[in-house]
Amino acid sequence: MVSLAASAQVPRASGGQPDFSGVWQAVNAASWDIQDHSGELGVPPGLGVVEGGEIPYQPWAAARKRENRLNRKTADPVAANCFLPGVPRATYMPYPFEIVQTPKLIAITYEFAHALRTIPMDASPHPEGLPDTWMGDSRGHWEGDTLVVDVKNFNDQTWFDAAGNFHSDQLHVIERYTLKDADHILYEATIEDPKVFTRTWKMSMPLYRRLEKNIGLLEYECVFYQQEEKYKNAPFHR
Amino acid sequence: MLPSTVSRRIAIAPAAALAALAWLPPAFGQGRTPDGQPDIQGMYTRNGVVGLEAKPPVNPIDPSGANPLSVSNRGDGLGPYPSIFGRGGTVLRGGQGRGQRRTGIVDPPDRNLPWRPEEDQKRREFLLHMNPPVDLRHVELNARCALPGLFQGEDGNNPYQFLQRPGEVMILYDYNHTSRVIHLDGRPHVGPSIRLFMGDSIGRWEGNTLVVDTTNFNDRTSYSREIPYLSDALHTTERFSLADSNTIDYEVTIDDQKLFTKPWKIAGYFSRVPPGVASMEFACAEGSQTLLDIFGKPPEKGGPDK
Repeated sequence: MVSLAASAQVPRASGGQPDFSGVWQAVNAASWDIQDHSGELGVPPGLGVVEGGEIPYQPWAAARKRENRLNRKTADPVAANCFLPGVPRATYMPYPFEIVQTPKLIAITYEFAHALRTIPMDASPHPEGLPDTWMGDSRGHWEGDTLVVDVKNFNDQTWFDAAGNFHSDQLHVIERYTLKDADHILYEATIEDPKVFTRTWKMSMPLYRRLEKNIGLLEYECVFYQQEEKYKNAPFHR
Repeated sequence: MLPSTVSRRIAIAPAAALAALAWLPPAFGQGRTPDGQPDIQGMYTRNGVVGLEAKPPVNPIDPSGANPLSVSNRGDGLGPYPSIFGRGGTVLRGGQGRGQRRTGIVDPPDRNLPWRPEEDQKRREFLLHMNPPVDLRHVELNARCALPGLFQGEDGNNPYQFLQRPGEVMILYDYNHTSRVIHLDGRPHVGPSIRLFMGDSIGRWEGNTLVVDTTNFNDRTSYSREIPYLSDALHTTERFSLADSNTIDYEVTIDDQKLFTKPWKIAGYFSRVPPGVASMEFACAEGSQTLLDIFGKPPEKGGPDK
């Protein structure tokens, strides 16, 4: 992917950094499959977002990915259980998210399952010895006009997509957010996981500003809706 | 394996207690954001918002040992309403004495709420079917890991973080990774077909008070265990008033004409936490066994995808 310097046209915060605040959304089919794929019933076709196309799985992990894909309807943590999608999947779920940028802290709130991340911008390190998390621990810094977010401390429960692409608790994601113009972000995510992959790999995609007048996040309460369906005839044991 | 029922955690850095002694708050009333809002940013605990009516019904889901109706008095602390659901926190509560501030139901002063009599009767009946819950509708929202609405985000330990940027105030809850955006840009409310747990919030500053008008609630949010639901006619007016550099007084007018003949008011306050307190991931549905425990296993359908 060509690296694009931010133009003078981007909105800027009072401190001079690009201002990413606003409602954004990916417009692609990566949440179904981050690689090239044809359409199927309920699966929109899509160009892959993985640079080079291939994901460098270790042999055992390639087998596990194939198994995941076969079982995806009941095994995808998002499709089957509405669990928090993790990072970077939260970014390319087919729902908008909002970035609220302040000098010391950037928050990202996602419409899907009201997922929430906070990204301290104070050069603090990842805390040690804490429990694994679904959305990871995020720490941000600026590299020129690019917002770089280092994300660690994941559990091994989330998938990258609904096609079974997975990782371990050693996952380390480095996200790069670059404003190409006022309404487009170039989003890049570098993926490291020595337990699962043979080398580092990367995905990238544009993110689009939601330009509707009065845009704001609504609620997609996946867990609640799923409970309404699964437990509509409850109780089951009496 | 997944963690047990609900993972809720507060981190206090080891140095927090010492750091707190050396901590000096910013001078009151001086801070302004770049767009001129009074600067209320920071991490707070919420206190005293949920209170009791003058003559409250018996709370059937109080999980304490004192409640003979509770079915969750088990040695392992699990069950339909695990004992953790009943614990209000005191770890982070600020130094301000509760007695100095208004809390709970403040209007009417005698705390006799202006219930429509038939609706009061219905809610008392509803409460009797909540433990054990007769169906999904009678399970309280906290136990379903749903968004909490405005009142059930928890008084006590789980902190709230206020962020401000031009045109917006955002409140991040530790509780169940909830967030609220309060729009200050003069936009209208969303249309009436959109219903939300957290409502649609439009705000404005009146001096040092943030006034927030919220509508578009669904009919699932609640005020307390004793008032287990409010209607979709709910309309709230919240007032966040800077009281001193560490305290935001909070007052809410609750106008729900389907349930009450006139509005009533509650109050509470937010107090700043010491430095070193961090919000952590509050995954809820990911580990919850609550509905399985209450209702048993739903019938399987489908199988592996061939």
